[in-house]
Amino acid sequence: MADGVGTRSARLPFGGREDRLKRRLLSGAVEDNLRAIENRPPGRLYRRRRVRWPIAFAGLAALAAGALVLAPRLGWGDFAEPTPGTLVATVRAGDDAAASDPDLPPTRVPAAVFPVVVRRVVLDPGHGGGDHGTRTPTGLTEKEITLDLARRLAERLGGAGYEVTLTRQGDERLELRERARLANERAADLFVSIHVNWFEDGRANRGIETYFLGPTDDPWATRLASAENLESGYALADVKQLLESVYSEFRQDQSRALAASVQRRLVRSVRELSPEVADRGVKSAPFLVLVDTEMPAILAEVSCLSSDEEARLLAESDYRDRLAQALFEGIQAYSHSVRKGG
Amino acid sequence: MSGKGQMLSVGIDLGTSQSAIATSTGARHVVDSYVGWPVDMVAKKVIKKPVLIGTEALENRSLLDLHRPLEQGLIKEGSEKDIAAVKEILGHLIGLAGEGGKEQKVRAVVGVPAETLRVNKQQLRQVMRGMVDSLIIVSEPFAVAYGIEALLHTMIVDSGAGTTDFCVMKGRYPTEEDQRTLTKAGDSVDDLLAKLVAERHPAIQFTIHMVRGWKEQHGFVGEPQGKVVVTAPSHGKATQIDITEEVRLACQSLIAPYTETLLDLLAAVEPEYQERVRHNVILAGRGSRIRGLAGELEKALADLGGGKVSAVEDPVFAGAAGCLSIALDADDSDWEKMTA
Repeated sequence: MADGVGTRSARLPFGGREDRLKRRLLSGAVEDNLRAIENRPPGRLYRRRRVRWPIAFAGLAALAAGALVLAPRLGWGDFAEPTPGTLVATVRAGDDAAASDPDLPPTRVPAAVFPVVVRRVVLDPGHGGGDHGTRTPTGLTEKEITLDLARRLAERLGGAGYEVTLTRQGDERLELRERARLANERAADLFVSIHVNWFEDGRANRGIETYFLGPTDDPWATRLASAENLESGYALADVKQLLESVYSEFRQDQSRALAASVQRRLVRSVRELSPEVADRGVKSAPFLVLVDTEMPAILAEVSCLSSDEEARLLAESDYRDRLAQALFEGIQAYSHSVRKGG
Repeated sequence: MSGKGQMLSVGIDLGTSQSAIATSTGARHVVDSYVGWPVDMVAKKVIKKPVLIGTEALENRSLLDLHRPLEQGLIKEGSEKDIAAVKEILGHLIGLAGEGGKEQKVRAVVGVPAETLRVNKQQLRQVMRGMVDSLIIVSEPFAVAYGIEALLHTMIVDSGAGTTDFCVMKGRYPTEEDQRTLTKAGDSVDDLLAKLVAERHPAIQFTIHMVRGWKEQHGFVGEPQGKVVVTAPSHGKATQIDITEEVRLACQSLIAPYTETLLDLLAAVEPEYQERVRHNVILAGRGSRIRGLAGELEKALADLGGGKVSAVEDPVFAGAAGCLSIALDADDSDWEKMTA
């Protein structure tokens, strides 16, 4: 028979973190009320669903709070800003002993050292199955749009000679790690996750943004990171290893370059039709689906369903073709730049 | 948090069968969610009140236009009488709680089923307008979790009359993907029990209220501890009938949907936390009193590597107490002002 539960202190394992956790829960409740009052669609805690927060926040908080301690030792402070012609390798070039020492910093080598050719592309239509993603009151869902865009994009890439794989072929739910694992198993050269955004700050806002893997400078995320880091259970050594593997590999720079290429073409193409659409830029964030992939990877928020106008356009085949074409051109341009060595 | 000194904070569990209130002054009240108005002048003279609420309404139902205004935890749609009845219940509860008179300001947190539609929340807001000064509406299982501080890596199964709410607490306010609402709950058990009893004992006269009482007193799943024998009239004569098997079958009807939903929600939990959630399943609501329910759910969890299912100590007030905890912790800026 059931044991009785009811004494508050008996259930709480957090000690001093209790108040922060409660505050967060209360804020969520208040936000849920505001949505109902303002007649906004139900929230899905948009970013949080895509991120393995204990890991991501551990990294973020360590970056925020411990960078001064770690950076000199790891040599991060010596890094130059990446340039189009630079790749970052995880080994110290020309130093075998150093290559085996995990404490030593990675060193930049010219991109031309690596004969990179983009051949295999994995496209990841966001969400699926019971996970609808964002959706409009009229029933247009993110999962349906992303799959359709991925199919249109796959057709174009296939026609241009790329080997293309979709992480999902139909309306099925896939864990983020499964998506990443598929890309890794296929030894993909690029991973492009397609999503449709939802902006909480107003239905009139329209914008495009593209993410690549990396730390975020978003103050909200950083604030949350500090709180979450306390509950992560990760030791400093774990965090350091995580950060080295995530942020120091050459794929971060390549991901940024791919993101920039895609973002540029998306914005240009959409603005031909709607000049008011905002260029929300190329941003970094530790999305789990990007963390687990082993190749340059981006997450493109190609549109936003929170905008009535965007929702209307997204229902049209021509607009979807436009977005797919822009994504294709972005990938193509990146691919050409890599082939030419930067 | 200025101004809390003059405030009466209340937590309300607006339930299909019973509604409960817990207040910052320590008062706790529960009423059956029934409201009745006298059917005519004669009834009004007999009753001597314009409206009866709760048990009083049930006991005098032959003289009343009786309403159970909540269906599956929500205000019935399209009925002004039912909206008026909800107002009466809430007003009655707040009246019971309000010791400071009309001058006292009231802040209320109201718990509603997890998947309550926005339109119904708006309806509730309209009902509450002018009745309280400030309002927050929360998901009922979230309120239960908050009240017992089961905030992380736990699953609440709130088995009420109209709905059963499932909610996984992941350290954030539950989203759609963290919650499920089933209409398999106390009422569906009552309906099935009534059907089974009627089939086996066609001459027995009974009402759904009697069936509800039998279930609440004797409800069990698994092996019976003894025979369930109840008394009901047959052709006007008090007759004892054995309804052990009927009670078992009716209560057992919850197990399959509960198990399926539980496993479905568990599968959506990050793999590294699934074991912790499995060992922190908490039953709430009056359905948690069904003997053997926790054990049956634990059997289902055994297939996944084992788990632990426990029940809240006070299922009647767990929701209201949780709502009160939220009310007491909320900042001034968190509240929606409800002055008419």
